[in-house]
Amino acid sequence: MRLPRSARSLAAALIAATALTGCATPPPASDPEALADFKRTNDPFEPTNRVLYEINNAIDGVLLRPLAVGYINAVPVPVRTHVHNVLANLNSPVVLANDMLMGKPRRAGDTLTRFVVNSTAGVGGIFDVASGLGFPDHSSDFGEVMAIWGIPEGPFLFLPILGPTDPRDAAGYGIDIVLDPFTWIGQGNTVRNLGYVRYGMTAVDTRAGLIPDLDKVKEQALDPYATFRSLYRQHRAAQINTIKNDTRRTEPDWYPATPAAH
Amino acid sequence: MLTRRILLRAALAAAAALSVAPLRAANALSPEQARQFMNETAQKLVRVIDSPDPQPTKNEQMQEIIDRDVAVELIARFCLGRFWRTASPPQQQEYVRLFHHVLLNSITGHLGDYKGLTYTLGRPAPGQGGIEVPSVVNRPGQPAANLTWVISDIDGGPKIIDLIAEGTSLRVTQRSDYASFLNQHGGKVEALIGALKQQASRGG
Repeated sequence: MRLPRSARSLAAALIAATALTGCATPPPASDPEALADFKRTNDPFEPTNRVLYEINNAIDGVLLRPLAVGYINAVPVPVRTHVHNVLANLNSPVVLANDMLMGKPRRAGDTLTRFVVNSTAGVGGIFDVASGLGFPDHSSDFGEVMAIWGIPEGPFLFLPILGPTDPRDAAGYGIDIVLDPFTWIGQGNTVRNLGYVRYGMTAVDTRAGLIPDLDKVKEQALDPYATFRSLYRQHRAAQINTIKNDTRRTEPDWYPATPAAH
Repeated sequence: MLTRRILLRAALAAAAALSVAPLRAANALSPEQARQFMNETAQKLVRVIDSPDPQPTKNEQMQEIIDRDVAVELIARFCLGRFWRTASPPQQQEYVRLFHHVLLNSITGHLGDYKGLTYTLGRPAPGQGGIEVPSVVNRPGQPAANLTWVISDIDGGPKIIDLIAEGTSLRVTQRSDYASFLNQHGGKVEALIGALKQQASRGG
């Protein structure tokens, strides 16, 4: 299967980085507990990942975090909420496609209703009217689709910009970009610049939401890298679990129930 | 032969009952009891957070609640994982003491952030190592947070053994942190104790 260009160049960069810093050495077989721990952690590229983590941290400290802090200080909460709503609404086509691909029609219905209601009554996505009507917000990415399909996550990776991830979810991120209709619609300078604005605002908006949590981890953890690794994995597993356990019926209550098989 | 079969079955049943019995005693807590305990504890916590007393008094009150209602030593042992057995008893004691100190600091240091919080408790269900009591915590001006409290019967009374925030278990995360730190320092618990001492003296 040919991977999209973004995933291929990501893979090439990763292989180059690994060649530079190498893989982690597993503990000797004479220490079976340590070996079991190493296998469970599933981070064979740990030296490379740590280097990339430090680089990412440095860029974050110099660029992204100050931008996010400035954004929080300059823009009042209601406006920030509206910006977040608009960005989430623009992401709806991707979420809808992923909901359908993972075979969750009720979730897909939520997403479609949210998109329609918020784009119209919510004036282009600014106001989140649909939540009040009983259609909760959720996000889906192709990594989750692959998880539902049964594809294992693979070893831990810490990539620049994406942060903590793994091969399945990194590939999913690339595929989401391909699935997004706004990637393909229109041409010309204005459209391209609007696209950059959207990506930039998404990054700042996401980072602003994470400031207290990330700060707390970096301040309190003895090994922030390992803490982020553990948090990412647990959070991802919980997200996928939530989707699997979402077995809400798609028919309305008044619909006659199908007779049970004998 | 029938008698032998009956005897064999009775023996198996007895063995099964005996092996299950200790487990049952440990999980003697019913979901309803866990929920009630959590409700009482949460009310106590909110009272301390919202009280107008000075910070040192609030810290002391917080310490009392944590000592009584949180299984600190059990959590500390869990967080050290497989390295607990490689530590000497004095090291184990020192580690638990420091863990307690750091835990307290991390809670009391952020008490101000939680002023005016309200919560709702959901339906408890048996889960990872205890009864999971889900809750939704609302802080003024912040989005609602989903926290699940894990309660278990420790030493004859219910105690909090874990807190799962948005799907991430605090115990498991802390254990990963310590395990990674120890792996980088050759598995020496003394190094961890030193790092915790530094953290405690820094006040968080």
